[in-house]
This record gives sequence, structure tokens and C-alpha cells, in this order.
Amino acid sequence: MEFYLIAISISVLIYMLMASGLSLQYGFTGLVNFGYVGFFAIGAYTSGLLSLQGVPLPVSFLAAMLLAGALAYPLGIITLRLGGDYLAIITLGFSETVRILLMKEDWLTRGVHGVPGLPRVFDDWAGVSSGDLTLLLLLLVVNIAVFALIAYLVRSPFGRIIASIRDNEVAVRALGKNPAAFKTRSLMLGSALAGLAGAFQAHYVTFIAPEQFVPLITFYVWIAIIVGGPNRILGIVVGTIILLTFLEGSRFMRDFVGGVSEVQLASVRFFIIGMALICTILYRPNGLFPDKFSKGK
Amino acid sequence: MSYRIDRRQFAKLAAAVAAGAVLSNTAGAAEAFRLGALNSITGAGGAYGPGMLEAIQIAVAEVNAAGGAAGRQFELFAEDDQTKPDAAVLAVKKLVEINRVEAVVGIWPSSVQLATLPITNAANVPSFNVCGAPELETLDDKDLVFQFYASNKVIGAVFAEVAKKRGFKNPAVLAYNNATMVAQAENFRSTWEAGGGEVADFIVYEPNQTSYRTELDRALSKNPDILVLSSYTPDVTIILKEWYQSGYDCKLISPGWSITQAVADALGPEVSAQATTISNVPASSTEAYKAFHEAFVARTGRQPEMFATAAYDMVIVLALAIELAGASAKGTEISAKIRNVTNAPGNKVSTFAEGLAALKRGEEIDYEGASSPLEFGEAGQTTPAFGIFGFEDNKLALQEVMTLKS
Repeated sequence: MEFYLIAISISVLIYMLMASGLSLQYGFTGLVNFGYVGFFAIGAYTSGLLSLQGVPLPVSFLAAMLLAGALAYPLGIITLRLGGDYLAIITLGFSETVRILLMKEDWLTRGVHGVPGLPRVFDDWAGVSSGDLTLLLLLLVVNIAVFALIAYLVRSPFGRIIASIRDNEVAVRALGKNPAAFKTRSLMLGSALAGLAGAFQAHYVTFIAPEQFVPLITFYVWIAIIVGGPNRILGIVVGTIILLTFLEGSRFMRDFVGGVSEVQLASVRFFIIGMALICTILYRPNGLFPDKFSKGK
Repeated sequence: MSYRIDRRQFAKLAAAVAAGAVLSNTAGAAEAFRLGALNSITGAGGAYGPGMLEAIQIAVAEVNAAGGAAGRQFELFAEDDQTKPDAAVLAVKKLVEINRVEAVVGIWPSSVQLATLPITNAANVPSFNVCGAPELETLDDKDLVFQFYASNKVIGAVFAEVAKKRGFKNPAVLAYNNATMVAQAENFRSTWEAGGGEVADFIVYEPNQTSYRTELDRALSKNPDILVLSSYTPDVTIILKEWYQSGYDCKLISPGWSITQAVADALGPEVSAQATTISNVPASSTEAYKAFHEAFVARTGRQPEMFATAAYDMVIVLALAIELAGASAKGTEISAKIRNVTNAPGNKVSTFAEGLAALKRGEEIDYEGASSPLEFGEAGQTTPAFGIFGFEDNKLALQEVMTLKS
């Protein structure tokens, strides 16, 4: 039992890391990134392939973050002069391009065959069972650090500018600030977090293939932050937990509700997630935990 | 005189009855064997996973009706892996940690088996799949993983043998872009070229399109006399429709899971008459297949496809191996017996009840499965015989059986 709870918690924390990055981009800066999974994929493949070449994991994790962040730069240059909708389409195209590159460049990525046998994070000195627990603790520390960083950023001058870009970009420009520069930084930072999450995922699942990095993952992260509330740390945490509760919790529903087959349950899972999203939009349009300062102040 | 039971006597009596009930219960039935089914119910494998789960349920019912394996009834726990390795990791953790299953059956995609193998092997849990990834043969260091379907190396090679035997000269290949299908198509090409032939065109297509016209036109522009379709049912249905609309005349060859009876029903005899399909069910004549087929049609009203047939065999083989290994056997002790019950020599048996009876008499057995004769090699792979099927009056019919060395 406890090992399953550890496994679930690891998944929650990996998604939470992604949700933090995306809410930095969307919740705090107002950038609509529909290609978030592309950066997740870049992180996973960077760290996975480097580790198979014998690069130590701390270095490969760092490389995953840096590369994912760096690749957000050209994307930012190209698109940040465009409005929100254009950015959404172009980033979606970006993530699909990444996925197709991973499929086609099989000299590097083994294409559709995927890369099996990646080293796990702490197995060398902690063993398989306690390795998971150690990984969980590490992820917890990383997530707390990221939350601290976000909390700090939001209160800093940088945070005030990205918030005002989100709320009224024209006003920011009128005050003599260049929104594109700030948006690029926010995009890079959020993408670096996706890269880090990708590295964790790769070394936890130990197998990566392009089919793992489909747009569905992007929209799972979107669901998490929309349900929870995109510009509150509490919203990120609660939203991610709710998402994974729906995704994983439906496995246990059959143990309580009789007469549901596995086939029906799979459909019920999507139904519940869809309904939760619709209800959130209807009754809590700013998420369960809306920004304290967003309305009526 | 009247005999009355006072309170103390009643308590003693009740305790004795309860103790008796407990004792008779433990003597009567051994602990249930907890079996995990990890199927691709949703995602790309969704066309096959539900049928595999139903086949597993049929086999479990058959084992339980015969009194269980080594006296242990099977208790089934099913999970959806969503055809995704990351979801599969959580699903298999749940099966192993919470449901405490002692074996996992029904794995469809190689990606799921590759991701779950470290977990099941660490927990000493055998896992049975229908994958064809060559890496499985090297990653499995405990001999716990068994592949119930032909490796794609073999299927691709059979395509080439059949095409050559039937005198085709200029094949064009269309392959679905995933590990399994690309490997199959590449093995067709290497076998074909090793036999001195040339491939007119080799096209890998992206799945989930509404039209494959571009890829198809490119292939047809090379004037092939046969199209090799390494594909699945959803995409091949669209490709064949567009091929028929193009009016181009050539033959088709595909794996058995692709151009199925359902596809023939949907597209009609003009299309299906041109198709040849290959699958490792030569077994449609065996007793095991007949019994399974009957049970499957009775339960679902549908025809079983090959993966479901293989999933059925997984449970039967597992049950026979447990019977031989004994009620207290775990993991590697069970998997060590799998070759004993499936491989020659031994009395050929085709149902669980038959195998059970023979094992109880102390005989050696050789289970001839519903999906193939099931002779497992060193690395847990099968070395099957192939059925070559065609459509006569739009009905799938076995034309010949061929065997290859794997």
C-alpha cells in the first residue's frame, strides 16, 4: 500500500512541477502556451539520453532544464509580438514538431522504438524500494523550492510587471517597459520547469517514447491549473491533486461501486474529468482558489 | 427430564462450531491466486484491449470451474494502462502493491511492458504480453517475461516469404508509425531484399489521420503489384477505402489483426477479395481454439481476434504452470515451469481441465494453445506457425499454414 501511495505522490509532484511552470506562464504572465508538453519532452529526452552516455544524473537534470529553457527563447522571440491566440497555435505546433522530430531522428532518439532502461534516480545507493521514497522527498524539496521562487518572483518588481502585462499590456508599454523581454523570461523560466519535470519523469518511468508526449499531457496540466486557480500557489497544489485524484481515483471506484466493468470505467474517467472542468468554468470561473486581488479590489 | 442449555454451555458450543467452521474452511480451499490483467482499454490499443480482457475473464472462469490451479481459485483484478507507459506504471503499482497480484497478464504495447518490467521483476511477478520488442529478451534478467505473440521480426519475414511464393515482383510498403509496425515493415524489407527483390517504396505514415491519400498516392505511383500494409484496423479501413476509390488494381497483404472480418464486412467483397492476411493462429483447427471461439462468441457476440486468443492462452498456461509448481509457488518458481507445460515433449492437451487431469496423473504435458502451439524459447519468446488467410465470398478463410524458424 505505502509503495503505491509513494508512486501516486511522485506522479502528483511531477505534474505539480509542470503546473507551477505553466501557471507562471499563464496565471502570472497571461501567456497561453498550448505546447507545454514539448518542453517536458525535451527535458525527458535530454536527461535520458545524456544519462545513457554516462553523464551523472545531477548534470543531466541541469542540462534538461537549461535546454528546455533555452529552446523557449527563439519561440519567444518569434511569437511574443503576437497576441494570445497566435501564441497558443504556434506553441501547439511547436510541441507537435518536437514530437515528430523525436519520432523521425532515430539516430539520436531511437524513433518510435523509444529509449528503454534509463537509470533510476536513487537506486544505486538506496535500493529499489527506498529509492522511490528518496525520490519523493527530493521532489517535495524541489516543489517547495519552486513555490518559494514563484512567491518571491511574484512579489518582486519582475512579478509586478508580468502581472501588469497580463492585465493590460498597452499600459505597460505606455510606461516605457518592453513587454516582450519580460514575456520571454517568463516563458523560459516556465519551460525550464517543464524540462526538469520531464527529467524526473524519464528517470522514474525508465522508458521514454514519443507517444508519451502527446498534447493530452499539456491539457492535463491546463485542467489542473484551471480547476485549482492559475495564479495562486494553493490553486496549483489543489488543482494537481484533484486532477490526479480523478485520473487515478477512478481505479478504486470499482472497488466501491459494483457492476462497473473496466471498459465502462475508462469512459467514466473521461466523463468525470470533463464534468469537473465544465462545473469549474460555470461556478468558479477563476478556479477554486482565485487570485485574492483579481476582482473587486 | 428436559435438557436445557445454559449460557456457559451455549458459549462453548458456539466457540466449537466457529472453530470447526474455520478449520473446515482452511482445509477446503487454498487461498485464491490473485491475478492481474493489465489491458489497453483506452488509447491506441483500445481496439484490442477490451477483447483481451474478456478472453482473460473466460479463461479465469474455465480455470475456476475446473477447481482452480493447484486447488487455488483465480481472483481477477483488471486495470487499464491507457496504452501509455506512465499510466501503466501507476496501474501496475496498484496491482502489485494494493491488490497483491502474483502474476500480470494481457499486456499489449511494448512500451507498457518495457516500463512495467522493472517493477514486476523486482516484485517477482511473472508478466505475459503480446509485444514484439527485441529489447524484452535482454532486459528480463529473471526469466519472468513471456511473449505470447510472434516477434515482429518473424511476422515481417513471413510477409516476404508469402509475397515471394505467390510470385509478386514489386511490393510497396505502408507502415503505421510505431515501434511494432515499423519493425515489422523493416523486417519485411530486409527479408525481401535478402531474397534478391527490390521494394518499390517504403512509406511510414503518421496515425490518426482522416485521410491517407498522400501516402497512398505516393505508393501507387510506383506501380506496385502488392501493397504491404503494416497497419491496424482503424487506419487500414481508411486506406483500403481510398485505395478502392483510386481504382488501382493490386493485391494487399496485412497482419491478421488489421484486415479483419469486421473490415471486410464494412468494405465489401471487392476489397476483401484482394487481401491476404497473416497471423499466428494456424490454430483455428485445434480443440483449444474451437472451445475458446465458442465461449467468446457466446459471451460477446463478436469474433475473437488474435490478441484476445493469445490473452486466453496466457491464463491457461499460467494455471497449468501453477498446478505443476504447487500451491505455494511464487514468481520464478511458477515461471520456471512454463516451458514444462507448453513445450514438447509431453502429452498434447488443449484445455485446462485436460491438462489438469494429466498433471494429476503425473504425466508430462504439452499445451497446444488457441493462439499457437506455444513453444517458448530461451528468452520467453514463441516460435509460431503462421496461418495465411484470404477472403472467399467476403468470409475469412484459412488458405495454408507455414512454419518458420524464429
